[in-house]
Amino acid sequence: MSDTVKIYIDDKAYDVPAGMNLVDAAKMAGNDIPVFCYHPKMEPVGMCRMCLVEMGSIQKDRASGEVLLDDKGNPQIRWFPKLQTACTTNVSDGLVIRTNTPQVDQARENVVEFLLTSHPLDCPICDKGGECPLQNLTMEHGPGSSRMVYSDKLKLDKHVPLGDLIFLDEERCIQCARCIRFQDEIAGDDVLAFHERGRSLQIITNSDPGFDSYFSGNTADICPVGALTTADFRFGARPWELTEVPSICPHDAAGSNISLSMRLDRDHGGRAIIKRVMPRQNENVNEIWISDKTRFGHHFTRDEHSRLLCPLVRRGGNFNETEWKTALEYAANELQLAGGSVAAIAGSGMSNEDLWELRQLVTGLGGERLGAWPPTHAGADLVAQVGVGQGTNLGDLGKGDAVLIVASDLEEEVPIWRLRIKQAHDRGALVVVMNGRPTRMDDFASTVIHYDYSKAAGAFDLLQKEHGDTARQLTGAKNLVVIAGAEGVDLAGSRALMQAAANFLIESGHVGKPNNGLMATFPGANGMGQYYLGFTPEATQDIIANPPKVLFIAQADLLFDDPAAVSWLKQVETIIQLTLFAEEPVPGVTAALPIQSFAERDGSFVNGERRVQRFYTAQGPIGQALPAWQVLNRLGVQLGLGRSKLSASILMNEIAQSIPAFAGITYKALAHVEPQFPLVGGDDVYYGGTAYRNKGGLGVQIPAAADNGGAVTKGKVEKPAAIKASGGQLLVVPATRLYNRERVFRSSELVHPRVPDAYVAMNAADARKLGIENGDMVSISAGGSTLKVRAHVNGAAPQGAVILPRHLSDTPAPLAITAGEVSKA
Amino acid sequence: MHILLRAREIPDIHKYDVYVKNGGYKAFEKALKMKPEEVIDVVKASNLRGRGGAGFPAGVKWSFIPKNEPVKYVAVNADESETGTFKDREIMETNPHQLIEGALICAWAIQATAVYIYLRGEFWDVAHELDKRIAEAYKAGYIGENIQGTGWTCNVYTHLGAGAYICGEESALLNSLEGKLGQPRVRPPFPAQKGGGLYGEATVVNNVETLTNVPWIINNGADEFKKIGTENSAGTKIFCVSGHVQKPGNYELPMGVTLRELLYDYAGGPPEGRSFKGILPSGGSGPVIRVNDTTLDAPLSYEGMEKIGTILGSASVIVMDETVDMAWAASKIIKFFKHESCGKCAPCREGTYWLDKVLDRIMAGQGSLDDIKLIETVAKNMQGVTLCALGDFAANPVIHTVKQFPEDFAKHAKSPENSKSKKPAAKQKAAAGD
Repeated sequence: MSDTVKIYIDDKAYDVPAGMNLVDAAKMAGNDIPVFCYHPKMEPVGMCRMCLVEMGSIQKDRASGEVLLDDKGNPQIRWFPKLQTACTTNVSDGLVIRTNTPQVDQARENVVEFLLTSHPLDCPICDKGGECPLQNLTMEHGPGSSRMVYSDKLKLDKHVPLGDLIFLDEERCIQCARCIRFQDEIAGDDVLAFHERGRSLQIITNSDPGFDSYFSGNTADICPVGALTTADFRFGARPWELTEVPSICPHDAAGSNISLSMRLDRDHGGRAIIKRVMPRQNENVNEIWISDKTRFGHHFTRDEHSRLLCPLVRRGGNFNETEWKTALEYAANELQLAGGSVAAIAGSGMSNEDLWELRQLVTGLGGERLGAWPPTHAGADLVAQVGVGQGTNLGDLGKGDAVLIVASDLEEEVPIWRLRIKQAHDRGALVVVMNGRPTRMDDFASTVIHYDYSKAAGAFDLLQKEHGDTARQLTGAKNLVVIAGAEGVDLAGSRALMQAAANFLIESGHVGKPNNGLMATFPGANGMGQYYLGFTPEATQDIIANPPKVLFIAQADLLFDDPAAVSWLKQVETIIQLTLFAEEPVPGVTAALPIQSFAERDGSFVNGERRVQRFYTAQGPIGQALPAWQVLNRLGVQLGLGRSKLSASILMNEIAQSIPAFAGITYKALAHVEPQFPLVGGDDVYYGGTAYRNKGGLGVQIPAAADNGGAVTKGKVEKPAAIKASGGQLLVVPATRLYNRERVFRSSELVHPRVPDAYVAMNAADARKLGIENGDMVSISAGGSTLKVRAHVNGAAPQGAVILPRHLSDTPAPLAITAGEVSKA
Repeated sequence: MHILLRAREIPDIHKYDVYVKNGGYKAFEKALKMKPEEVIDVVKASNLRGRGGAGFPAGVKWSFIPKNEPVKYVAVNADESETGTFKDREIMETNPHQLIEGALICAWAIQATAVYIYLRGEFWDVAHELDKRIAEAYKAGYIGENIQGTGWTCNVYTHLGAGAYICGEESALLNSLEGKLGQPRVRPPFPAQKGGGLYGEATVVNNVETLTNVPWIINNGADEFKKIGTENSAGTKIFCVSGHVQKPGNYELPMGVTLRELLYDYAGGPPEGRSFKGILPSGGSGPVIRVNDTTLDAPLSYEGMEKIGTILGSASVIVMDETVDMAWAASKIIKFFKHESCGKCAPCREGTYWLDKVLDRIMAGQGSLDDIKLIETVAKNMQGVTLCALGDFAANPVIHTVKQFPEDFAKHAKSPENSKSKKPAAKQKAAAGD
């Protein structure tokens, strides 16, 4: 049997994949069957009735399988007496449809007429106007005039906040349930529902707070009318005024492909600003979805109040604004005076090009130590060895495959991976979650294993010794992906855990092929880029232990991340800091140099699947900020260490020549695109929504060492001593929250209501022992800092440990798990 | 002769003892000695057709259930929400054990693991009584584990809906039973198929009246059953007669009895000094017929009603005499359907709302002749394109009342002169403005 079947659309034959949905098959054949409720990523429901077609099948003799012919020698077709919905039909051999008959035209016109009866006439002020499926399909199929008396139209509420981020216009809603189904089928947060029935049917949210989901913005993209709008964009601009610039989400390891919708803005001095962030289709990375942090976390790019606008240098006791020329001369002079003891710490928001220039500068000055910040996650070298094979697509994982998530709260760390693995689970993949506490991922897991945090580094020992059946299921899976975080382990523990994960994959042969291998939830957008460019957390640890005379701190918020930073930074004589934010400079810094955000310049990141992806210049600089690579290059020139570089793309060429992993990678290669399925993102917004077609490039995945038959060997797991709490102490486990008070997120005020107040989750038994009740303020002394936060006494923490989310209060939480004192404040 | 409303002859047959004394549960015991397939064959041979309205042969439906699935269900449709229907209620109140027995025979025939009796929300008292009867059958060993030593286990539950017409539609019923919003599902897969039934398992959904016939068929054989009624419509049928007759109520009569016999011989004819005008033989959802000799002499059977342009449906015969304004009747029925449309698919959701608005206008004397044409085309646009039959049903009262009684609509419309004189006036105004 072949995998394709022959179907006939308007009397022309097409070979299409067997069993494919008819709307999709027709789309591939170039026939747009109009739909409102159908969406290629979701199960069909047949609600809107827009896709009605004449349908029949070619009759075959039951015994011989021969096609029966009529007296004229044409195949006999048995037609359905009534029109059928294409969306609820899967193609089979001999299927015949007609989409261009008067009957079909009439049915389409009738459905549009019905949908318009109570639809308001507010296209001129509607956010969706210009990219609205209902508007477009009305122009194409609708009646020319209305037979509905205007006063008969239903009057409903037009500004219903479903939550803080999404508003519902009840009049515009056509009850297609795409939003409800997205939340249920794709996001797994089924917080929307229908209320009432008939024409009173309305979308409601049944969560508290309303629309409690990290993926809510996607519903506005797939809404076929302007019923759902985002708090960020509503009434902000018209789609046709926007210029789309391809970009990459700067927030997490998924590297979601996005499109920045730019427009000149009156309120920002007539500069181009990001009016909205939209998904850009990359089926291997984020499909057509993005998280709400990706969508709503862009405001720092325009925020003149929080950004550092010009260079600052310290002369004597004063910290003064100055010109670039002066600042660079001054910094160069200080560097020369300091001698060769130079090191750098770079944040994971630095692009590959930035890191390259930083590396050139530090090594040029005789330094060796290149630290990655934050120094929490080890094992990027192992991801480079046995990371998921080239061509991996989490969207391919299904029955027979397995995913193991360990030491990570995936929903909070990399929400798009969480969304995609939830769907893999729906398709039948075995999903095993191992952590010291319950996480949201448990809801989509086949097996959940909770371990004692003190044994977190040995999670794989535990898996094999105490959960043999699960271990065997994992090793026996057709494909196996392991996603590791670093929750509940310190850096040495993280290394042990990653090595054990790598060994587990190597032993069971799940390396060196697509949809197999290791991924890690490195914080920020460029954790893997840090590794490839030579920046490691181990070097950071060494820098902390033996501070250099001169330290570059580049796009790393040391004081906010690490309570110990204040003290060890005092030992550094000269600090040159590259930063986005005015409030970030550390005490005693020699020069603070403003750098551009991802939206202001070109660059590239390497995501957690080792995909190098480029982002493009979308807006002008804020203040005098320069790209970090340019600041570093100019400094190098000033010091006589190299020549002036003109563009990020030239830097990529240098990287490709020097770093084997990047061999052959050019900006042109990164910009390469291929057709993707489903065919979304064109003018036909009716089909897939307003996700953008990928015109900026699909990126290039760096091969893992195990790819192409490369030999990899197991490494020794060096388990550090277990971290234990004794003498009335508890384990303090720092954890990640997606919505937090990190500086890149602070400017996104619309999300503030969703950022939790600083809290610590603790077990009821521990709380009782310490006389702490739910809601009490508690004091936590650990890792050199003391935090005062509110206690959440619930099941979110195991006995003996407290879960302390990072970045919720101005006092930093410990970088890694440690023992600490918890008491009532 | 009563197969179903046996309480008319045996007053206390709702009581377990009385039911058993009169042959109760003998059919079930007999069925348990037969192979499940044989039971299906008997029901198939009897040509028992679904009494919920669609008239689909029950035995054929049962035979669709896959044999090898470990979990299968029977869902008894006791939603009884068609306008003018009150037969299932009487069965459940007066002859509940026969329904339970029929459902159990069906369960055995398809080897179901559970029977769910889905009652409309307003039937809470009926459900309460039914629960007691079910408990009696449990006690007697007809329900539960290892029924009558066969090794087969089957439980029976009642479940109350929340009061929605649409939940009488089988797939919406299953959604509601699962605790979901009562909206029809996309079919295929059909309830009888894996993936289409309750919780995704193959499920037989049968009406109360359908299943209550089954014990009689098992006891007396398919041939005896076929002797009653017509060739294509075997057995008796309960006709729920309401409206303008002297003696409204349930009448269980052999299929094929004529409307004239039903309305005059049994229901006592129209009120004194009046005459029949229109009849809805299957409640508000079916096409209305104009009363004349041809229609009165039509046999009440699936095929007989089809011949005069209507349907037998669940045989809720709503009778209207000359005092009834059919436009008013249509507007009331549309109000019902507007209220009951589930809203899942566009033509029904929007169409019922629109029709209601225009009919209100017509009834208020504000409509024009164009409005009458409008409701006709809107109703026609709803037909044949919706997800379930409700869209077709909701269009019927408009399409057929306008067709059969155009004069009743015309008299509400503003005179054509009036409505015509308006438009040129508006034009003149516009012209003057230029």
